[in-house]
Amino acid sequence: MTTETKRFVLVGAGGIGNWLASGLVRLLEWKYPGSGLIIVDGDNYEEKNRERQEFTKLGNKAVVKAHELIPQFPNTVIIPLAKWVVSDDFTGVQAEDDAPKIAASQLLNENDIVFAVVDNFAARKIIFDAASRLNNIDVFTGGNDDELFGSIYHYQRRDGHDITEHPVNFHPEYENPPDKNPGELSCQERSEIEGGTQLLATNMAVAAFILGRVQKTIVLGQNPEESEIYFDLGLGKSEPYNRTVTHTNQYTTV
Amino acid sequence: MENNMNSGAAAQSGGMANVRFGVYNQPSNIAGKSVKEAREQFSKLWGIPTDAVAYKGKDKLDENYVIQPNDNVEFHRRAGEKG
Repeated sequence: MTTETKRFVLVGAGGIGNWLASGLVRLLEWKYPGSGLIIVDGDNYEEKNRERQEFTKLGNKAVVKAHELIPQFPNTVIIPLAKWVVSDDFTGVQAEDDAPKIAASQLLNENDIVFAVVDNFAARKIIFDAASRLNNIDVFTGGNDDELFGSIYHYQRRDGHDITEHPVNFHPEYENPPDKNPGELSCQERSEIEGGTQLLATNMAVAAFILGRVQKTIVLGQNPEESEIYFDLGLGKSEPYNRTVTHTNQYTTV
Repeated sequence: MENNMNSGAAAQSGGMANVRFGVYNQPSNIAGKSVKEAREQFSKLWGIPTDAVAYKGKDKLDENYVIQPNDNVEFHRRAGEKG
């Protein structure tokens, strides 16, 4: 146990985020007592989510999850933020019956450890871009398809420099997201987005891979060389990619 | 940045390079082949989309780029989107 404290910011408490929350709070409670876990989500738990998500009542995901965890983990400050994360230049209108918005740059602070596990590239890009303007920050993201494929990415900055590359350098889908940030849609537009048919196993695997990276790079303080990891539970394979800025990217035989 | 400095250069035949796509990683004797030829060789096996951009590090590779020995050629795999 250490006297060091951390501030974890979990953006998205859905299919991946609700499992990740359970792991992150345990890490904070026993490794970094007195730390903070901010859970951010503008969306609500609905009955249809129960197949892949654990919650004890219906309602805003951030609020419900925080209220479940608070009595179990007294050494961690758990704060729900029932808000949608939007870009700094968002100019849309706030609907009366919708959760409020928060700009990513307002949400993120220096030295934060951020978990962007929302279900779209557009919102993740907003978070990565806001992080790129801070000097010291870690952003972990992860997602999956409707079957057994998933991937995670760790973007790290220290002393104003990228330690790992901004994911836009390897992923055109972050440069020009093919999807929309639900926080920047109207309630009507959001209700028309297909929910898909994701699998519990893949959601949990993404959360587990992220927790593994946190253990290696944050708890143990080791280099984030396996910055991006692809996995396929059907094939039983995973593959790490070195996205550190100093990586030479030469293939060498041993 | 698009890397096409070797486009049209004489193929240096033979030599090992690495080809990657998502969970797949295959050291292969493909130095001297173009990115297009490498894509054709691995696309059926791995399901590489025809429009998947090839990278060497951060550099996007032209379809005619001639793969050099020890190159690490990565065909872009879209990240997992949902969660």
